[in-house]
Amino acid sequence: MTSLIELQNITRLYRSDEVETTALHNISLHIKRGEFVAIMGPSGCGKSTLLNILGTIDRPTSGAYLFTDASGAQQDLARMNEVNLARHRARHLGFIFQSFNLVDDLTIYENIELGLLYRGGVKGGRRPIIEAAMDKVGIGHRARHFPHQLSGGQQQRAAIARAIVGSPDLILADEPTGNLDTENGAQVMQILQTLNQGGATIIMVTHSQSHADQATRQVDILDGQLVASVAQVL
Amino acid sequence: MLKSTFTAFYRSFVRHPLYALLNLLGLSLGIAVFIALSLFYRFETSYESWSPKLPQIYTIGISFHFPGMTDDTGIGSMGGLLEELKTAYPQTDGTRYWPDSVIVHKGADVFNEQINLVDANFLIFFAVPVVYGDPANALSDPSHVVLSASLARKYFGVTNAVGRTMVLNDEEGLKTYTVSAIVADLPKNTEMKLDILRLLTPQRTALRSNWHHWGSVQLATYLKFKSRTEANALAVQFPAFTDRQAGQSFGPDVKPHKMLELKLIPLADAHLISPKLKAAVISLGVVGIVALALALINYVNLATARAGLRAREVAVRKTLGAAPLALRLQFIFEAMLTLLLAFLVALSFVELSLPLLNSAGGLSLKLDYHADALWIASVLAIVMVAGLVAALYPAFALSAFKPAQVLASSRTPGGGRTAGILRTGLAMVQFTAVAVAFILIMGFLLQIRHIQNADIGFQRSNLMIVNSIRDNAVTQSQRDAFVAGANALPGVSYVTIANAIPGDTSSVNNSNIVRPGQVDSATESPTVNYSIVGPEYFQLLGAKMLVGRVFDVQRGEDQMWDDKTTDKDRVYSVVISRRAARDMGFPTPQAALNQTARFNDHTVRIIGVVEDMRFYNPNEPIPAKLYLFDAHASESVVGMVRYQGLSAPAMREKLQHLWRQIAPAVPFDVTSAADNLDKYYKPERDRTHLFTIGAGIAALIGCIGLYGMAAFNTGRRVREIGVRKVLGASAGRVVGLLLRQFLYPVAIASLIAWPLGWLALERWLSQFDDAIAMPLWVFPVASGVALAIALVTVAGVAFGAASTEPGKALRHE
Repeated sequence: MTSLIELQNITRLYRSDEVETTALHNISLHIKRGEFVAIMGPSGCGKSTLLNILGTIDRPTSGAYLFTDASGAQQDLARMNEVNLARHRARHLGFIFQSFNLVDDLTIYENIELGLLYRGGVKGGRRPIIEAAMDKVGIGHRARHFPHQLSGGQQQRAAIARAIVGSPDLILADEPTGNLDTENGAQVMQILQTLNQGGATIIMVTHSQSHADQATRQVDILDGQLVASVAQVL
Repeated sequence: MLKSTFTAFYRSFVRHPLYALLNLLGLSLGIAVFIALSLFYRFETSYESWSPKLPQIYTIGISFHFPGMTDDTGIGSMGGLLEELKTAYPQTDGTRYWPDSVIVHKGADVFNEQINLVDANFLIFFAVPVVYGDPANALSDPSHVVLSASLARKYFGVTNAVGRTMVLNDEEGLKTYTVSAIVADLPKNTEMKLDILRLLTPQRTALRSNWHHWGSVQLATYLKFKSRTEANALAVQFPAFTDRQAGQSFGPDVKPHKMLELKLIPLADAHLISPKLKAAVISLGVVGIVALALALINYVNLATARAGLRAREVAVRKTLGAAPLALRLQFIFEAMLTLLLAFLVALSFVELSLPLLNSAGGLSLKLDYHADALWIASVLAIVMVAGLVAALYPAFALSAFKPAQVLASSRTPGGGRTAGILRTGLAMVQFTAVAVAFILIMGFLLQIRHIQNADIGFQRSNLMIVNSIRDNAVTQSQRDAFVAGANALPGVSYVTIANAIPGDTSSVNNSNIVRPGQVDSATESPTVNYSIVGPEYFQLLGAKMLVGRVFDVQRGEDQMWDDKTTDKDRVYSVVISRRAARDMGFPTPQAALNQTARFNDHTVRIIGVVEDMRFYNPNEPIPAKLYLFDAHASESVVGMVRYQGLSAPAMREKLQHLWRQIAPAVPFDVTSAADNLDKYYKPERDRTHLFTIGAGIAALIGCIGLYGMAAFNTGRRVREIGVRKVLGASAGRVVGLLLRQFLYPVAIASLIAWPLGWLALERWLSQFDDAIAMPLWVFPVASGVALAIALVTVAGVAFGAASTEPGKALRHE
């Protein structure tokens, strides 16, 4: 497998008027294409900060974040400007959140369309791509509904469709089953596994050991530091 | 991307109707006030713009500098001024416009109309739109008349009445004239009434002894120049020209231009020549701008407030790769769409309210989408540019949200400290404007009521003024017969004739009065406004006699005034006003009694002093008045009838019946003194109505903004309210907490409004001769009303939030 991400000594400090908090300390991590990585750790250990940095919606205080795209070109995202980061997110990343974060005022179809909107280059042919994404997660019949008209599981499946509609290099999932019951949680994990088996690289933050067990590698974080990175045999 | 923006815009309207309604209503109302007052402003500032030659045309104005008189500039000149100018400056290109009344005979019926005697070049000079006929020759023949299209239809049933004849009776007698041309009806914003035009002939000017009398004002003189420089070049020669031409008209040692200042006024500025009127028009324009500003402030407040609610959407969009620029463009585009929609709604508001506005403001405004397309487009452009500036802040505030923070927090971001301060600041600006508006509305209404009800020195009700008496066609015996006949009518208590007429300045004359031993000097002797009155004039008016007596036809010494007499030894009895006694230097009215003075080359003896009577504009000081006696005066006199016990229409009808018997060839024309006077009071009242409507809507916009803010801020604090209630806070305490947050800035704003309101009101009141004292109570009342409105607005939202169950509140997010 080729390299996708290489974090080198990533540190993230939060400074307020009087307090300085170290959210991440010297994290180095290498992720290859096609991996399914589960990040685990207790609350407040820095899992979400790490995911935000991986998703480029937060910046490390120090360290390098090397990203290798499909053509083999490598860039340090820690030093990229906002405009290029926005472009990077649009082209290479897909996000899944614990609280779904669908836009209330848009229909399910339009929410999924957002995943293509900022990519450019797919004008005209969006509909079949969106419909294919909806079919993949089984919510094709809910296209015209608004998020509040759907169950939690359906909303999360819509969010997954939004994340995968642009065929990103990397899917970032922040506790995707955290707001779901067991059955819906299992369904979401099933979808993620299927995506991974189809070649997608996934990084998932989770509190659930059973869900982490379904990943190909588990990374443990404690007090902002990486304490273990173990490949798992499925 | 565009489609996505449209979708977001559409959904925000459909899915958040309250927010959308508040936003749209506030904006539409503000824009509607702006459009309506812009229409008003344009109407008032574009007088005579029907003439394509407007930029080149100037009119003559005069400012008299007589002692005791205001030196405001008035439009008009001596009749023969143009001829004198042409002799002195042969290149002068000018024309004249002299309105007069005329009787039109149509079969057995007679009608009163206004006729305008003009120079032959009038139509070409102004490039008057001529519908039929040849403008170059239409006025070349004294037997020709030019009619307006509507007047042609009135008398001939068709517009093209060229070649038809009509019989007119005026100062030159009863004659038949041929219609030579028809001109288009002019728009309403003109001082000219081109219904009937006829050539101003030397024969007609010869009838006027004062045609070349410097100091008289008869008509309007217009001059045309190729450039402003050329106009200024003539204007600088006016003082020398006046001194040359007027000679010793104002006394042997007086430079005429010191007394009579000729001015060249661009025709475009002539309508608003009165500084007071101009200030009133500008202030209403300012109200329009303020209303628009308040609406845009609302927009900024609501948009930034809602930005918080949209933060999650922004964060998601950013996470999905939207660049800040794309988001800013999206929000600005949404703002532009909102403004466009608000503009359309505002146009329909204006359409719907124009009839009401026209009747409340005494206006004739209209919105013509075809003719005014360019104007409407420019108003739209102003609104959009102002809106764009207003939309920039929310657009930047929204696009600046950090997605990681927003997505991690369960709380709706408020846009930070800056946005909070900005919103509070803007709300304070709004409420300051609202409180100032309340102060001014109350002050204006108090003053208007005061001048309407003030003691003006005479009884204005139950008093008819018969204007027909002054028609040239009325003979002395007809006048006497009418006075006798009216006196015999049941309900009539007094009848007299006079040319001192409430609400009518058409026969105002001024002259010096000099006490024995004083120097007779135009620059120093007091000026009195003099009139001729018949028997029982003062009894009829109910005037208050301060000392002495009124005229008595039985007394030999109350000789009839005869201006043309050569008997210089005659002593005339006169009655003067309190102001005249003061101006003449008498310490008390009593001191003036039986004193003599020189007046118009005659000796007069003061037999009585009456209280000042306000016959004219309440904005202007009451002039010093001198009354001369003539029981059979003929020049410019009207009949005055005091009656009791019957209605105005009934009295009118009786007088009309009498008139028809005495002078059937002259149309009956009667007004009531109250109506006559109302023309001075109505404009002020109308403008106050307009101001009240504009300011009232501005206040409503402020309330909408406050409500929106309250709803948003309370929405953000639902969780906090839940926590406070869990900790034992009562609903009352929570309401108190929420109210304090809003009432604090409103209270400060209403205090800031005090000095601003004071300055504005003081300035406005200073234009009245008889102004009320600064009404101190309106300040706390205005603040109280503003606070009460704010309280009611916010209380509903606060009670709703405070009565939510804490469990529900904590689950809210």
